[in-house]
Amino acid sequence: MKKKGMKLRRWRRSSQVLSFFLFLFLFIKTDYSGSNELSYAVNILFRIDPFLALSASLATKTLLALMWPSLIFIGLTFVFGRFFCGWICPLGMLLDGAHNFIPPADQVNLKRFRPLKFYLLGFLLIGAFFGLPAAGYFDPFSILVRSLALAVYPALNVLATSFFTFTYQRMPEWINMLTEPIYTFLKATILPFRQNHYELAFLSFFILGAIFLLERLDRRFFCRSVCPVGAVYAIAARFSLMRGKSGTKCGKCRNCMDVCRMGAIDEERNISPLECNLCMDCVDMCPGNKIAFGFQQREVAQPAFALSRRTFISSLAVGATLPFFLDTRTMAKRPDPYLVRPPGALPEDEFLGRCVRCGECMKVCIGNALQPTFLSAGLEGMFSPRLNARTGYCEYNCTLCGQVCPTGALEELTLARKHLTKIGNIYFDKNRCLPFAKGIPCIVCEEHCPTPDKAIKFREAQVLNSLGEKVLVKQPYVIDERCIGCGICEAKCPLPGTSAVRLTSAGESRNPQNALPTQSLPY
Amino acid sequence: MDRRYFIKQVLLWSAGISTSIPSFRIGPELLAAEKESPVVSHGKDKNYNELVSRVLKPLGGIGKFVKTGDRVVIKPNMAWDRSPDQAANTHPLVVKALAEQSLAAGAKTVMVFDRTCNEARRCYVNSGIQQALESINDKRLKFYHPDTRKFVPVNIKRGKAVNRLDIYRDALEADSYINVPVAKHHGLSKLTLGLKNSMGVLGGNRGNMHHNLGQKLADLATVIQPKLTVIDATRILLRNGPQGGDLDDVKVLDTLVASADPVACDAFATTLFNMQPDEIASTVAAYNMGLGEMHLDRMQIIQA
Repeated sequence: MKKKGMKLRRWRRSSQVLSFFLFLFLFIKTDYSGSNELSYAVNILFRIDPFLALSASLATKTLLALMWPSLIFIGLTFVFGRFFCGWICPLGMLLDGAHNFIPPADQVNLKRFRPLKFYLLGFLLIGAFFGLPAAGYFDPFSILVRSLALAVYPALNVLATSFFTFTYQRMPEWINMLTEPIYTFLKATILPFRQNHYELAFLSFFILGAIFLLERLDRRFFCRSVCPVGAVYAIAARFSLMRGKSGTKCGKCRNCMDVCRMGAIDEERNISPLECNLCMDCVDMCPGNKIAFGFQQREVAQPAFALSRRTFISSLAVGATLPFFLDTRTMAKRPDPYLVRPPGALPEDEFLGRCVRCGECMKVCIGNALQPTFLSAGLEGMFSPRLNARTGYCEYNCTLCGQVCPTGALEELTLARKHLTKIGNIYFDKNRCLPFAKGIPCIVCEEHCPTPDKAIKFREAQVLNSLGEKVLVKQPYVIDERCIGCGICEAKCPLPGTSAVRLTSAGESRNPQNALPTQSLPY
Repeated sequence: MDRRYFIKQVLLWSAGISTSIPSFRIGPELLAAEKESPVVSHGKDKNYNELVSRVLKPLGGIGKFVKTGDRVVIKPNMAWDRSPDQAANTHPLVVKALAEQSLAAGAKTVMVFDRTCNEARRCYVNSGIQQALESINDKRLKFYHPDTRKFVPVNIKRGKAVNRLDIYRDALEADSYINVPVAKHHGLSKLTLGLKNSMGVLGGNRGNMHHNLGQKLADLATVIQPKLTVIDATRILLRNGPQGGDLDDVKVLDTLVASADPVACDAFATTLFNMQPDEIASTVAAYNMGLGEMHLDRMQIIQA
């Protein structure tokens, strides 16, 4: 009997490890791989997330077809309970793995935090409906992938590069014979192709770190009390067919209570299906082999906490009221002109409603152009993608960001459509631009401009340089009708610091309010 | 006045007119005149593989440039995320033929790389060069992305406009450096040819090269001296260069130009665009530094 129990637990662990490595594999594969089409469904983790599906659907008041895989997991939860949290969730696996290394804090009464996740879920969903998109702040996968993409993975590359640069530059030849093949191998397999740099890297990492710190309070504190995905699964698991149950008589050793990572077992050894994530530890630990999981259930055990109707209604009320304050801000009247959204981005409200802040687009962006927004889209727009044309630019023939977006906040564009999608427009700062300001020849911007008929052209002009000499230089100018706002000119501008050519959202296709003055019809 | 006195006086008085101030400056004209006039070979053929052999023949074949055991760098232009027919990058078949011939000539390694302008992997793939080189099954052929650790600062001793550049180590250490640019239009420099293609071995902020580009390219050419330049004019980009993207801007010439003299090679290729060598600032600057010939009448131009 004991042996059989061990097997169950081992199955669970294997499943956790397997899905974690599958997750890492897909994370690394969220990259250009020699063709513009991605070969794996790299965003699947987000598309099986019922909370994000609900939230994005409520925000847009449509059923998001892209999110259909989440129905599978909801369906499975009606049968097996919160197995996802125990067997699949990559963040759960990390927390389980890290638990032994995190010293516990002093015991406090934590039960009162239990209902928090339901209040939070209510707040987030009703907020999404009325126009406060904040799901990505609390969704565990958004937090995890964002942190990995923006902080952990680039940091890993810094670590590897600095180590192998040290060996390359300082170590004797025979050590290089060993280290260089290792570096080549790592680069070909797990390391990113290039060193990316991200805004908010530290903040993204800190939010993930905070979840690990919460582990000090209690095992799986985040999963028990905060996780909105867990809350959705808990509601479904309330009706699940398969449950844990304990035998009638036992020695009351309470091993099961102590060992339960979710705190799902009460004094009477009732296992709450709302909390139980089927880790199977109690089955293993019960000295009398009294606990088993099965399909015959008569009564549902009460959850180990009480949901306060008053608090729940209050959180709904807050969620329904707050959105109306958002439109009182200046950005509702005039958005930040430097907030340039990726190609295929829906109109701003719908875009923010759908965007789950997962960071997939920033991970896959081969130009390192997509950056997490800080406050320029409002507090609720934090971590949504924007194009920073100084760290990178939008590659003309690339459509990867639209392919990885799990919710369609970025539409999947064909290449032909992308070439006609204007995300912004550039202007020249003639006080800084060399041929205007100093009479120095340059036009690197014109060279890089990718539209077949260049959007940046130049005129020859005679100007005085800083020595007072008359010189003939080529001065760039932009043809608005052709500029699609890729930002390569700003990225490649050789001036130090701020570029002499700046990209703004002016003229972006998705917002007619932002149209540029024209004399002829744009395309 | 007798005859003798008259002649004496005439010679004395006219001496100041006939004798100019003695000049001890050896100008590039004189230097070039002393050198043997460079051979520039060009040819036309639809079969690019054969065309490469043909244009190399008057120069003595690949064996003249690649010796057994040499580390060879072949530096194509594959800076842009464009397809071969868009004429922004060197034609893959030309690169492939040169790689195959270098290997056959006994090269120890043949390295092919470029520091691209667009995203590196996309350029390597979409230029068609990656696929073309993958079809050569030879371990001596190394087709790779530049490693940021391997750019070394180099003092440009003869530099007039730039005195220090980060240059890729493999390019500096090669026994034989073969430059394979594509001939195309360029807004700032009018055309981009061989000297401009050498910018692909530079690290750091290359945009700064554009301020006085012609002289800086000549300065770079004092350090990066290809043994052989093969200019790909199989199809040339007439407008909207150096990126292109519109097939209407492309003209198919099926032509290659090759020479051991990088300046002469550029100078001759300029004529394919109905332009004169002295219109290209880098050609003139390099010529003035004595790096090669630019006058067409002082070259041996051979149609192969």
